[in-house]
Amino acid sequence: MTGPVLEVTDLRMEFRAPRSAGGRRVQAIREVSLTIGEGEILGLVGETGSGKTTVGKCVVRLLRPTAGTIRFAGRDITTMPARALRPVRSQIQMVFQDPYSSLDPRMTVGQIVAEPLRAHGRFKDLGVRPLASRAIERVGLSTQVLDRYPNELSGGQRQRVGLARALVLEPKLLIADEPVSALDVSVRAGILNLLADLQKSMGFSCLFITHDLGVAEFLCDRVAVMYLGEIVEVGSRDEVFGDPRHPYTRSLLGAAPLADPVAQRSRERSIMPGEPPSAISPPPGCSLNPRCPLADTRCSTEAPVQTEVSPTGHLARCHRIQEQMSLEVSHT
Amino acid sequence: MTTVTIPGEGSVPVLSQPSRQGWWRRFRRRPPAVLGLAGVVIVVAVAVFAPLLAHYSPIVSQFGHVLEGPFSSGHILGTDELGRDELSRLIYGSQATLEVGVLATLLAMAIAIPVGIAAGYYRGAADMVAMRVTDVVLAFPFLLIAVGLAAIFGPSLQNVILALGIAQLPGSVRIARAEAMALREQDFVQAAIVTGAKDRVILFRHLFPNMLSPLMVQASVSIPAAILGSALLSFLGLGVQPPTPSWGNMLASAQTYLYNDPWIAIFPGVAIFLTTLSFNLLGDGLRDLFDPSMR
Amino acid sequence: MAELLAVQDLEVRLFDRSGVVLAVRDVNLTIGQGEVVALVGESGCGKSVTALAILRLLPADARISGQVHFDGHDLLQLPLRQMRRIRGSDIAMVFQEPMSSLNPAFTIGNQIVEVLKLHKGLRGQAARTRAAELLSLVRIGSPEQRLRSFPHQLSGGMRQRAMIAMALACDPKLLILDEPTTALDVTTQAQILDIVRDLQKRLGMSILLITHDLGVVADLADRVAVMYAGNKVEDAEVHRLFAAPRHPYTVGLLRALPRRGRRAGDAQERLTEIPGLVPVLRESLAACAFAPRCPRAQEDCSRQAPHLEQCEVDHEVACFHPEPATVARVLR
Repeated sequence: MTGPVLEVTDLRMEFRAPRSAGGRRVQAIREVSLTIGEGEILGLVGETGSGKTTVGKCVVRLLRPTAGTIRFAGRDITTMPARALRPVRSQIQMVFQDPYSSLDPRMTVGQIVAEPLRAHGRFKDLGVRPLASRAIERVGLSTQVLDRYPNELSGGQRQRVGLARALVLEPKLLIADEPVSALDVSVRAGILNLLADLQKSMGFSCLFITHDLGVAEFLCDRVAVMYLGEIVEVGSRDEVFGDPRHPYTRSLLGAAPLADPVAQRSRERSIMPGEPPSAISPPPGCSLNPRCPLADTRCSTEAPVQTEVSPTGHLARCHRIQEQMSLEVSHT
Repeated sequence: MTTVTIPGEGSVPVLSQPSRQGWWRRFRRRPPAVLGLAGVVIVVAVAVFAPLLAHYSPIVSQFGHVLEGPFSSGHILGTDELGRDELSRLIYGSQATLEVGVLATLLAMAIAIPVGIAAGYYRGAADMVAMRVTDVVLAFPFLLIAVGLAAIFGPSLQNVILALGIAQLPGSVRIARAEAMALREQDFVQAAIVTGAKDRVILFRHLFPNMLSPLMVQASVSIPAAILGSALLSFLGLGVQPPTPSWGNMLASAQTYLYNDPWIAIFPGVAIFLTTLSFNLLGDGLRDLFDPSMR
Repeated sequence: MAELLAVQDLEVRLFDRSGVVLAVRDVNLTIGQGEVVALVGESGCGKSVTALAILRLLPADARISGQVHFDGHDLLQLPLRQMRRIRGSDIAMVFQEPMSSLNPAFTIGNQIVEVLKLHKGLRGQAARTRAAELLSLVRIGSPEQRLRSFPHQLSGGMRQRAMIAMALACDPKLLILDEPTTALDVTTQAQILDIVRDLQKRLGMSILLITHDLGVVADLADRVAVMYAGNKVEDAEVHRLFAAPRHPYTVGLLRALPRRGRRAGDAQERLTEIPGLVPVLRESLAACAFAPRCPRAQEDCSRQAPHLEQCEVDHEVACFHPEPATVARVLR
């Protein structure tokens, strides 16, 4: 198979707010299309409420999207019934943000890691134990932890257990939802190294959801930036971090403080004003227009479409891109 | 497949201190809860070892010793209107009393847990039906149910248990449902769904075991409620039928002699009071123990 | 620089369910007039406990020893009534989670006016005018209107601004910021940092900044104190600390950070992990607490606890075998 592992097209997800909150529709995802190739790590970057986690939950079918299609290895899984979905589930696994709530406190680590094996009857004559042992060693833990309970482990160790559970079936696609944002810096480094190593040795594709640009740059091959339920820019790591085109991407990169006082204090500060508007009533036109330094009248009336920045797949959803590009051409 | 060895956290031995050891220590720090536990243990022991503890038959009358006061002629707590040893009747009465409390609660739980899980986990139509039915049950006073059952089948222990069990259903269903709903949103349940685990596995391995602690707390509250309810039913003549002693019917038959011989009413009353108090104290203690914010 | 606050030999013992925890050990810390000092470390290192001990906000069963000199008083010896007067007027504190430190039942205006009434004796229109001024100081638009908002009607960033406004109500000499931007998104964080930097310059107050985020430190701090397992292990002027850290733990923290331009895919690029776990100390230790995890540890490290000693001007380190100053450059 040579096609993309995951292909999401025009995904939309609407929630109905509780009646106490007005009962209005919340557009968590307004229009998201993305693809992940074999062995590729795609970073999905955005702030709170951008809809990045909802995309992940739709892909693993914890949520059923309002519209759009999700294709996994060429098959449409958007509305696949539960029975047909089960074998697909063994191929798409997930790691969660909170290393505390994502492990059942009443099961031993061994039981937790073995659960996917049992669910799919994958233990042949060997029994579950050797496979669980191998998975737990693969994430850098000793097999002694198999008989421990999660509350006996540290946050970093728990997150490794979560990773072992997700990878024990050797899935094709891993959805990682902020897997390191609850961890301390020194522990986070270990998990990030581990993810990079495992991806290399096992070759799975990965949708890596994060709000941390540094983490995304370290780990991901391609990066998609989300704002208010839309992907505003997508491209290779070098393109998005080295040549960001969307004003929102630029402001994100400019806002993350550098851990270097000399560089941090000498850089030009252009802080984007305001905060993301509510997803209940997104602004007309471009969703960024009330905050955007480049916005003109067209931006507040007409929604921009994805525009190709370069033929390598670097896209940005901004009216001003063409002008910026022609400006650059005239400068050179 | 190669194994990646990481010189990280992984190579370090895991943290010690499993919280299981901490349980008893944390529980012990709450004197009322310990007192409650002691009371419950004593009552259960008395019911279990009743034949060993009681010196007299609780049923056989001794018409020569009617309504003797405490500490008279070898009857420590005196005798009742039929000359039966009050202490022995109290001891044996604990059996029927506890039986009603525990079985009514078990009955309620046995129905409430599957219904609550189905309603809370699947939501939708199952939830709607379960909630409306509990609303209807709530609208009937349990006395009415008990009187109705007694009227149809005649007064008996089984009917008391049935009536009290039904009376406790709505509360238990709601608690089970709320727990199931909360657990459904927990990441580890979501993780099990993503893993492809069957519903059976999710319900029995993830939901049920994690609901046990709150349900135990609920049980420790509903057992004394059922005991009080059974006393009330016995008092009205709808409960355990004489001559089998229960604290409720002892209280009922004592009312005629309340003025001259108050002890035959006081002792069963105190027994009911102390037993329900013990269960309630234990329940409060358990609730604190299981409340993560109290750790 | 004149000293505003001097913490001497601070030691704090707290109680958890397993017994006593030595949360802060022998901490000495000074903050000069108008100085911004950052207290840095991972969770459980004692940085927040230190701040709470200064304000005497720790639980009643905490055992505190040492001295906290502020404005001619030892805060630890002060009668509670006088301490209350200092809290909120001379020393103000802003917490990580603004929602839990604002009273949801009262408007922002009410709560600021309350503080003004209590500490400044302002009433009626004068108090409301001052409150509106404070809100515009933290760049909240249409302040008159915002005074009438309830906390839940504001976004996280706005709430944190309101908290800062309230903290500034009495012109404090010292502002303690406890992880002020940790709960916020990067663009909001950049706004708050900008406000704090600007206010500090204009009002000239001292700031004790408690954070785990080295980017925030690089942005705001004049001086940095690094804490590990309740101890201060390094204290240096900010540029010096980032350019030439001496304590192996500080070096480890800086190298563990994914930073711009570091990529997992590049040749052998890995984040440095600090092996092992942060210890929870239950009794004082006749050894360096970091020794079991330290790449530079030698025999003497486990026999004796190192004390903080000056290694250069404006630079103290508690280590027997610190990184050589010249080789330790970890930054680009």
